[in-house]
Amino acid sequence: MDKAYISARNVRKVYNPGKPDEMVALHDISVDIPRGGMTILKGPSGSGKTSLLSAIACMSRPTEGRILIEGRDVVKLPERFLTDVRRSTFGFVFQQFHLIRNLSVRDNILLPLYPTAVMPSAMKKKSVEIMARFSLAGKENLKVKNLSGGEQQRVAIARALINDPKVIVADEPTAHLDRKLAAEFMDMLTSLCAEGGP
Amino acid sequence: MIKHLKIIDYALTSLGRRKYKSLAIITAFTVVVSALASILLFSRALQTEAAYILDSAPDLIVQRTVGGRHDLIPLEYSEKIKKIPGIGTVSERYWGYYYDPLTRANYTILGTDGNETPLELLEGRLPAAAGECAVGAGVAAIKRTGAGGELILVDSSNTGVLYEVVGVFRADSSLLTNDLILLPNEVVVDFFGYPPGMATDVAVQVYNKNELQTAAAKVKRLLPDSRPITKAEIVRTYEMVFNWRSGMMMTVFSAAVIAFCILAWDKATGISADEKQEIGILKAIGWDTSEVLALKFWEGLIISLTSFLLGTLAGYLHIFVFNAFLLAPVIKGWSVVFPDFHLTPHLDPYLVFTLAFLTVTPYVASTVIPAWKAAITDPETIMRG
Ligand SMILES: Nc1ncnc2c1ncn2[C@@H]1O[C@H](COP(=O)(O)OP(=O)(O)OP(=O)(O)O)[C@@H](O)[C@H]1O
Ligand SMILES: [Mg+2]
Repeated sequence: MDKAYISARNVRKVYNPGKPDEMVALHDISVDIPRGGMTILKGPSGSGKTSLLSAIACMSRPTEGRILIEGRDVVKLPERFLTDVRRSTFGFVFQQFHLIRNLSVRDNILLPLYPTAVMPSAMKKKSVEIMARFSLAGKENLKVKNLSGGEQQRVAIARALINDPKVIVADEPTAHLDRKLAAEFMDMLTSLCAEGGP
Repeated sequence: MIKHLKIIDYALTSLGRRKYKSLAIITAFTVVVSALASILLFSRALQTEAAYILDSAPDLIVQRTVGGRHDLIPLEYSEKIKKIPGIGTVSERYWGYYYDPLTRANYTILGTDGNETPLELLEGRLPAAAGECAVGAGVAAIKRTGAGGELILVDSSNTGVLYEVVGVFRADSSLLTNDLILLPNEVVVDFFGYPPGMATDVAVQVYNKNELQTAAAKVKRLLPDSRPITKAEIVRTYEMVFNWRSGMMMTVFSAAVIAFCILAWDKATGISADEKQEIGILKAIGWDTSEVLALKFWEGLIISLTSFLLGTLAGYLHIFVFNAFLLAPVIKGWSVVFPDFHLTPHLDPYLVFTLAFLTVTPYVASTVIPAWKAAITDPETIMRG
């Protein structure tokens, strides 16, 4: 049995296959990501980090290879099931935040919970808690576009955590934070790992 | 359930975020829908009116012409017509147009023998004695009178005559009765100063409706200076009027449809980069394609349903409360006869359904379909692009 929580096996990702601008972003990658820990992926720009994380977090399908989550291959899953896996497993912090700029901080954070059965009262409670935790209290009604880069990143992180994911996938999460906030963020991840996770 | 309520809630937030754009779309859409609704309601109301008119028209009207001009018809004529085989009831009609200098409007003065057909249209009763009259809703409104009130008309010897209003026609067929002043037959004869033994024309009912042409021919042969007009010819006259009018309608109608198509087409082709990006984000943070489409569906439905309701209301008010003032130029050329054109309010559920179907469906489709194209793509691809 595989000890890893997530395993990528011989993953290959080709963008625009068969076209003149064909681009092979991932060549035959295999990695194991263990439970209860923090795995860091390093590489130069354009080396395919984002591509790999997207494949692992079920946001794009690899051209070849398998992605196993708890031993189950998700690559061939129909879209509906893939969405379920993504929703119940991952919280993703994107390199470019990908927040909805003219939506309020609170709604951005709560966005993953809208298409779920979580009651509005519970959503409200969660948003209050998480905003307090990321020092966003008092800014809940501000539009995201009026926030500083660091604040935006915290909103992105809060959004990734709102559905209590088993795995947090963060793509260069500290890129836009100053040194102090970056350190805080890493501390936070460490404590989240300690708290439990898969 | 709760999930869908929350998606609707987010759809509202989402539209609120694009407040000005949403309002602009709703406004434009409402204008188009109200134009459509006006035209549909208007032509439907006219059809209803026309049906009333034709229902009450006799099979055959016999006029007498003198040198091609409509002239009074002697009562012996109707006696002769009665003797033709196949002819049913024959009744002399006494009527004429009356110009009222005070209100500068034309009315139709019609005589009654006290037991005539349009009785069901009446509030109050028909005039039975000299000095009594019944009036159409339009006359009542313009002359500021009603049942129990009074009406002064100037007769052929230039004398003002006072009548008591004993009945007002209900508005069921306002086109037919709107400009009507109903007086007893003898009073009409005196009023217009008709020589004795003369009527305006003769209304004839025929037993076998298929024999109408034959009956008309027989009348013509028997009375060479008469002019029999069949119901079919009356229908044709109205049809000409209505066809000409529906031509105008079709022009306005197609203009509205075209405007609407442009609106829909613009939406269908123009899913903005922002919108695409947003769909990508929703999918990336765990929304399913079907949930994204549900969101777009609700957005489209909220916009189009609001516009549909507002537009239909505006159309209804325009036609029935503000007397179709924007379409009135089309009518006015047709009828100088009607002093105050007022259509009977009527909302046909089938018409409402048609209108809803014509407006809501394409708009929702034009919201959902382009979103669907974006929503089935990998979130990663959308967000990079
Ligand atoms: N849709 C696409 N079409 C073509 N090429 C693509 C597409 N998406 C990514 N690529 C290419 O794939 C390669 C890997 O991209 P990726 O974003 O995974 O790199 P990265 O390691 O995350 O880089 P960075 O550190 O700059 O974020 C890059 O060369 C990129 O240009
Ligand atoms: Mg990257």
